Amino acid sequence: MPYSLLFYRLIVRPVFRERARSLLVILAVALGVSIVLAIDLAGNAAVGSFRSSMESLTGDNDLEVTAAGGVPDKIVGQLATLTYPLRISPRIEDHATIAATGETVPLIGIDIIAEANNVSTQQIEPLNDEGLKHLTDPDAVFTTRAMGKSPGAKISLLINDQTHEYTVRGLVPGSSQFSGNIVVMDIDAAQQATDKKGRVDRILLKLPGQPGLDNWQQRLRSALPPGLALNPQGSQTAANRRMLAAFRGNLTILSYIALLVGAFLIYNTISVSVVRRRTDIGTVRALGASRNAVLIAFLAEAAVFGLLGAAIAIPLGRVLAIGAVRLLATTVDALYVSSRPGSLALSTGSILIAFVVGMGVAVVSALSPAREASMVPPTQAMGRGQREYAIRIDRKRDALIGLSLAFAGGLAALAPAIGGRPLFGYLSAILLIAASALSIPALVYWCTSVASSVLQKIMGVEAMLASRSLAASLRRTSVLVGALSTAIAMMTSVGIMVGSFRQTVISWMESELPADLYLRPAGDPSADRHPTISPAFTERIAKVPGVEGISRFRAYEIQYQGLPATLASADTNLPRHREPSSFLSGRPAADVLQQLTAGDAAIVSEPFTNKHHVKAGDIVTLPLGEKLVSFRIVDVFFDYGNERGFVILDRSTMLRYLPDPAASNLAVYLRPGADLEFTRELIKRAAVNSQVLIFSNRDLRREAIRIFDQTFAITYALEAIAVIVAVMGIGGALMSIVIDRRREFGLLRILGATTAQIRKLILIEAALIGILANIAGLALGFLLSLVLIFVINKQSFGWTIQFHWPVSVLLFALSVVYVATVLAGIYPARIAQRLNPIEVVHED
Amino acid sequence: MISTSTRTISPAESRTPPPPLLSIERVVKDYQTDGEVVRALNDVSIQIEPGKFVSLVGRSGCGKSTLLNLAGALDFPTNGHILLDGVATDSLDEKGLTQLRREKVGFIFQSFQLLHTLSAVENVELPLLLAGHRDPRPRAMERLTSVGLAELAHRMPHQLSGGQMQRVAIARALVHRPLIVLADEPTGNLDSSTGTSILELLRRLCTEQSTTILMATHSIESAAFVDFMVQMRDGCIEQIVQS
Repeated sequence: MPYSLLFYRLIVRPVFRERARSLLVILAVALGVSIVLAIDLAGNAAVGSFRSSMESLTGDNDLEVTAAGGVPDKIVGQLATLTYPLRISPRIEDHATIAATGETVPLIGIDIIAEANNVSTQQIEPLNDEGLKHLTDPDAVFTTRAMGKSPGAKISLLINDQTHEYTVRGLVPGSSQFSGNIVVMDIDAAQQATDKKGRVDRILLKLPGQPGLDNWQQRLRSALPPGLALNPQGSQTAANRRMLAAFRGNLTILSYIALLVGAFLIYNTISVSVVRRRTDIGTVRALGASRNAVLIAFLAEAAVFGLLGAAIAIPLGRVLAIGAVRLLATTVDALYVSSRPGSLALSTGSILIAFVVGMGVAVVSALSPAREASMVPPTQAMGRGQREYAIRIDRKRDALIGLSLAFAGGLAALAPAIGGRPLFGYLSAILLIAASALSIPALVYWCTSVASSVLQKIMGVEAMLASRSLAASLRRTSVLVGALSTAIAMMTSVGIMVGSFRQTVISWMESELPADLYLRPAGDPSADRHPTISPAFTERIAKVPGVEGISRFRAYEIQYQGLPATLASADTNLPRHREPSSFLSGRPAADVLQQLTAGDAAIVSEPFTNKHHVKAGDIVTLPLGEKLVSFRIVDVFFDYGNERGFVILDRSTMLRYLPDPAASNLAVYLRPGADLEFTRELIKRAAVNSQVLIFSNRDLRREAIRIFDQTFAITYALEAIAVIVAVMGIGGALMSIVIDRRREFGLLRILGATTAQIRKLILIEAALIGILANIAGLALGFLLSLVLIFVINKQSFGWTIQFHWPVSVLLFALSVVYVATVLAGIYPARIAQRLNPIEVVHED
Repeated sequence: MISTSTRTISPAESRTPPPPLLSIERVVKDYQTDGEVVRALNDVSIQIEPGKFVSLVGRSGCGKSTLLNLAGALDFPTNGHILLDGVATDSLDEKGLTQLRREKVGFIFQSFQLLHTLSAVENVELPLLLAGHRDPRPRAMERLTSVGLAELAHRMPHQLSGGQMQRVAIARALVHRPLIVLADEPTGNLDSSTGTSILELLRRLCTEQSTTILMATHSIESAAFVDFMVQMRDGCIEQIVQS
């Protein structure tokens, strides 16, 4: 009780007395924590609980049989002839776009009659007796209730490049595991609609139980051709989850940036509290308070900030998560896999995380100043100014430690990934941030000392006083500059990284997109969906006047070493074909492509080599149809299209194993002198019933950049919030400067300073903090961008990014931060103007 | 009791006195504290001629500091008028008051009030810089020399003793050649010997430079250095004693 009373009187009361400053700190913590919470919630909804929508209606099966390009129908028969009591459920798994809405939904083909007889997996709910009669009609589909279709309603579906009319005959029961819609049809109809005659995408197997999964897997393995994969059901989901884990990890780390900036500000606030209350601390210590009591009191103050911040962060984080989930889903679709975000669930665990993170960061940030408060003997605490002087003496030592840490950070950047994760890259970034924080006092002191007389000449005595004050309050200034510069550095580094990436992609597209027109089936694109264009249409295009040649690109989803990848083929014998021409070896494209056509050879994308640790000359063994085929990697090509990784064969090689001639995309080369728009119109006419999208070279590049920008929108959003937190902190800190130095401002007024001069002084201080933070932030941001581009990105995703300064973006961002910092000084300046000089001068 | 009548402080009452530098006429000053009105000065009148060293003595809370604040154009009286060098302070706006202080008033405080971020000479230069002087260094050095601290001009405040800091503050108060210096307990934070040396310095500066000094103090020893001692009690002037 006495302790709580003391805590209230000595800690809580001052917090209330300085409401605006306290509120700013609490809001800074709240924003930081809310970002972590939002990304956690959104990450969980978008990717954390990822389960392929193809797992709809899978029931309680144990194993699955899959193959690149589909499992031949006959395998179902072979499995059925085995003497084991297996339940065998073949499936078609594809996507369809609802023509009316443009929504792309999973299309699942199952043996409706067999499934209807199976009580444990009863999937379909006919709408009426009429529905029962038409269960297996080629045009019968079953939809989720959410689609709002009545019995007998018609629905147009775009499947591959064809639109078909279907009749709704029943409902798919709702599933708690999946949100969104699906369309189900009988497997025969689905095979026909998706042009997968004689093949199914997956065979699910229900085992009798004994003698265990591994044992069954061994027995069945021997009964299947080598090219088929036999895995526990849902292995694709597991593979995707593994792939998404790294993405989510990086995002989570990014979300902690705002919190890190918040931590600086808590440190600053508690430091200021300690400095300002030194006399009080001394008095309380002299009156019998123990060191521990002082320590606990200041830690408790921080904990209260953390607690209140977290309490605000919970509803705020929930709101922010709504926007974040949308951005995340776009990124996941573009780079990884078709997904549907689940619902945002604010669990007890999430709430607990918010409080632990908020209070934890607050207490840890306050540890050092609180410890200092407890260590100060009462006699010293009575004297002002001494501590700042002592700090000034340490700046050289701190700079030396900073230099050592920077060196250690450089060394860490050279270390390899651990388990595919750039742990040393993160360590390097942390060491560089710490090095910067420790070097800032020296930078501030040096800059302000040098600038003092120059500034006085240019801007008058106020500028001299401002720079002197910043140098004298080195600890406070350094923390402020540290917080803002960290936020700026994060913004700069991510800005440079994304800008470099963008420029690299633009340059890459210059060489990678040589064709004049590109065609793909209509519907939403996604990294793992490869709808096809009918061969008949391709043939028609080839005959269009003005078309010189067509490169047919065909992609299949495969799993390699437990991770999803894309297997593709392309025509490599076109005269103008240069695809892909950017090889890691630097060899001319013609040489590489010549090797590709000779025998079982493949080229792989850079992300593929990063994920699977392979290089040119290595052998990759891929499941193709029923066979396992080994390919020699002839070279590695740069690719920024997706993060899953490509293995590319020559089309003729692919057709030897997977004889489906349909292409996923077409690259059309026009004859020299052919009119682009005219030829495009002719192709459109040739499309007849084929629903394809035709992009000119320029359209495609523009579209690619649009998707790129959309993908990185969330990183910009996170950086912006970190900067907002920092600028808020500057506002709060300047307010505390005004309160802390009110005696000085009062004295200046007495000595003849006008209110305008006081305002100018504070705004110049804010401007100097902004300039110093920009200098330090830009330097640190540059170093961090190198770590991001050449270490973290390379080890996480395997992309080679050419360094590029996005000058205009950086200039704009830095200017905004600078102006915001100066603006943050306006309110504190007004407070300072209103101070009563008599009162404040006589406070001592 | 003579506090309610206007008294002119001059060395020889028989001679025609010069116009007063500071004229305080029937001044009342009230403060609001927690909704309650507290009268700090009650109908005080006093006139001080140029070149006089006057001390205000009395117990804590008797109104000495309030009178100094009003005299220094830091505050307005609730009633009555204050004329500094013939200018009524209540006729000036904030800007005018600032200008008046810049040109005509110097301040010395009990706790020295030096800016710790500035060296001794820079502290002395400060009023000149705030007033827009381009080259204040020679005059600041001159003032520091006059208080005996030329050699310590570039030391920071924390490198100076209490007496030295107060000398710097005195140099700062005089650097812009004010007509009046207001000193609030200038020896309050100093030991008696240092305090005496500060009083000697003030006396000397007053005599040599004809600067008027109005000093609030508890120190009875100050009587030996001043021309007049104004004794205050409960916001009123109780007695004026010529030394």
